[in-house]
Amino acid sequence: MAAAAPQPTASAAPFDPAPAPRRPRRSLARRLPVEGLSLLAGSLLWEIAGRTMDLPWLPPLSMILADLVTLLGQESVRANIMASLQALVIGFAISLVFGLVVGALMGRFRSVEAALDIYVNALLVAPTIILIPVFFAIFGLGDGTRLSVVVVYAVFVIIINTMTAIKTVDPAMVEMARAFGASEAFIIRKVMIPASMPLVMAGVRLGLGRAVKGMITGEMLVTFVGLGALAARFGSQFDMSKVFAVSLIVLILAAVTNWLAQLVDDRLTRWAD
Amino acid sequence: MLVAFLTFWEVAARLAHNIGIATFSDTMVAAWDLMFGNGRIWEAMLNSNAALVLGFAISAVTAVPLGLAAGRSRILDRALSPYTAILLAIPVAPLVPIAITAFGLSLAARVSIVILFAVIFIYVNTRAGVRSVDQRLVEMAHAFGASERTIWTKVVIPSAVPAMFAGLRIGLGRALTGMVAVELLLVATGVGKLLLEYRDRLQPAYVFATVLFVIAEALLLLELARFIERKVAPWND
Amino acid sequence: MTDMTAVSTETQPPAPWPDDASLAAASHGGPMIELRGVSKEFLGDRSSTTTTHALDNISLTVNEHEFITVIGPSGCGKTTLLRIVAGLIPYDSGQVLVKGKPVTGPGPDRAVVFQSFALLPWATVLENVAFGLETRGIPRAEREEQARVLIKTVGLAGFESRLPRHLSGGMQQRVGLARALAVNPDILLMDEPFGAIDEQTRRIMQEELLRIWGYRRKTVLFVTHSMEEAVLLADRVILMSPRPGRVHEIIDVPLPRPRGRETERTREFTDIKELLWDKLRVMQTV
Repeated sequence: MAAAAPQPTASAAPFDPAPAPRRPRRSLARRLPVEGLSLLAGSLLWEIAGRTMDLPWLPPLSMILADLVTLLGQESVRANIMASLQALVIGFAISLVFGLVVGALMGRFRSVEAALDIYVNALLVAPTIILIPVFFAIFGLGDGTRLSVVVVYAVFVIIINTMTAIKTVDPAMVEMARAFGASEAFIIRKVMIPASMPLVMAGVRLGLGRAVKGMITGEMLVTFVGLGALAARFGSQFDMSKVFAVSLIVLILAAVTNWLAQLVDDRLTRWAD
Repeated sequence: MLVAFLTFWEVAARLAHNIGIATFSDTMVAAWDLMFGNGRIWEAMLNSNAALVLGFAISAVTAVPLGLAAGRSRILDRALSPYTAILLAIPVAPLVPIAITAFGLSLAARVSIVILFAVIFIYVNTRAGVRSVDQRLVEMAHAFGASERTIWTKVVIPSAVPAMFAGLRIGLGRALTGMVAVELLLVATGVGKLLLEYRDRLQPAYVFATVLFVIAEALLLLELARFIERKVAPWND
Repeated sequence: MTDMTAVSTETQPPAPWPDDASLAAASHGGPMIELRGVSKEFLGDRSSTTTTHALDNISLTVNEHEFITVIGPSGCGKTTLLRIVAGLIPYDSGQVLVKGKPVTGPGPDRAVVFQSFALLPWATVLENVAFGLETRGIPRAEREEQARVLIKTVGLAGFESRLPRHLSGGMQQRVGLARALAVNPDILLMDEPFGAIDEQTRRIMQEELLRIWGYRRKTVLFVTHSMEEAVLLADRVILMSPRPGRVHEIIDVPLPRPRGRETERTREFTDIKELLWDKLRVMQTV
């Protein structure tokens, strides 16, 4: 009923009955920018708490923002951002190719799925961070460690989603194409790929989010470059305002990459809305 | 298949000649030693899991009611949505030093990091579970004159249980990550301390063995969660 | 199943068809549902300003013990009408009375059977049938006893502890019907209850409904899109026209009861059905 029946009051739950005869009208709460107001209130609260309580771990928001501007102005910081981005892009590209190929194979061939399923699932649910010391032991302080951390964070969710996507393509659709005499290649290109795209893209977007986390975590643990290394350095100096500022940079990075992925997703899966 | 994988591991490790890579057989010997020789794994696990259990419990107890409330109240949901987005996107690792500054090198610091890792996924899933309740069932309950309370206990919460459990499972995995992350990054204790120590002493077999223990714990806990879910929500196979 | 209930419909001798005189004596026989100039608009979604006239100035009286079917092309507002009487959605203007009192929400005098069955997937057949009683705070033992009687009535004895997903569509709707009957309402509101059920099962369900209605004779408002169903079941068929939803015509069905499959073979049945189709054909847009 929720879709059709206008909500009579602001606090009405999606399933509240609205039995009384009355003219429906748009409620106040619907028109208020609640999200923005909430964010503003939270920021103010932080600022006030930071100023009055004077806790070392809770610097006022204004100070963090000032530090953010300062940091972005520094050549060395920008170099670190570029280093992080490089690891992210290369690591994610590897994850994408590897994840799509392995996921597609697992989705198409039962034998591949049977062989790999348990490892993929184990590595998807197990705490990935535990593998970082292993990579460090193998690759040392080089780019190999940074990249492999990004890959191991991002790749499994891409594999799982791609596999599920291929497996759940409507068999009726494939049968339809066969009935029209379509070749196997044609079916893959014109039916399987478009049909599996929404779920695949969902996996790619999740993978991208995880890649950002892998990048920063790997850098914090094992290398001397990148945003993670910056955060680790400020952390060990107990300069909390700068730690928050670096986190903010990472957050912006995550938001921008997610937005880019969203653009690609929207283009590829326009039919699905 | 398992045999093939283990053989591959053994052969590859022998051929690699990398001091960072342990063979399967060496790893098993180290695992045996960790369990029954020096027995260090038990104390480390116990120590680590204190933070996990506390952090996960606090996460569940806060996130589930909050998720239920946000699933029901549109205004609360919208007020929380920017923070949800931030918590979902932000990597927690850089925040570890902040928790240490706030709580010192204590259990509280480790617990707070575990919460930061886990809480958001439980919240998001619970909320989604409430949101995805079949409105036709809610309408049916209304038609039979059910009170708000009845609708909650008999329709909304049972409907949300599968999604809620999915969130708890993801949260559990994340809580484990948080537990290890804080130990590797700053508070060298538990399995994290073990890992770093053996890494620095160039004993890769012990590093591998410790990793296997943590992965085994993760899988065991998830299986346990699945088991409980089947008991609580048997209609959802 | 053990026969723990002292009185069950099944153990009674088949109820004789109640003649009009005995029905009149047992009840006031007056109007059960009254709609007076009821209108309803749906707002478009947030961005658009379009509104749909779902119902426009509907007036209608349903008497006690009457079986009314509502039919019309899609978009004629027949389901909206039923949901308004159920008290599930508000109406904009006019008056809706049940037993002389204005409808302000769902009430114990009405029970709904849904097209989608709307069974709780985690609850057993018994729990589902007892749901309406549970919402009224009836103690477990008592409500389960009543539920068992109704489960028997709809022919599901032995399935009490099954989950809905283990039942066929027809059986699921038997549960839906039992759930509605269990609260012993004055009015049954049925929203295309057999619309999601295959043709063979639907015919059996229609006969079952007629059989059960025979000895309970609730007032029924039954929305359907099947012409056979509308004529077979009803005392009167409400024919609605779309955009805006209006009562186009009310057609009497003076066929004798009890009715069954043989009714469909009579000349009178075919005539009414053809008449209905002639009128529907004109407003049907494909």
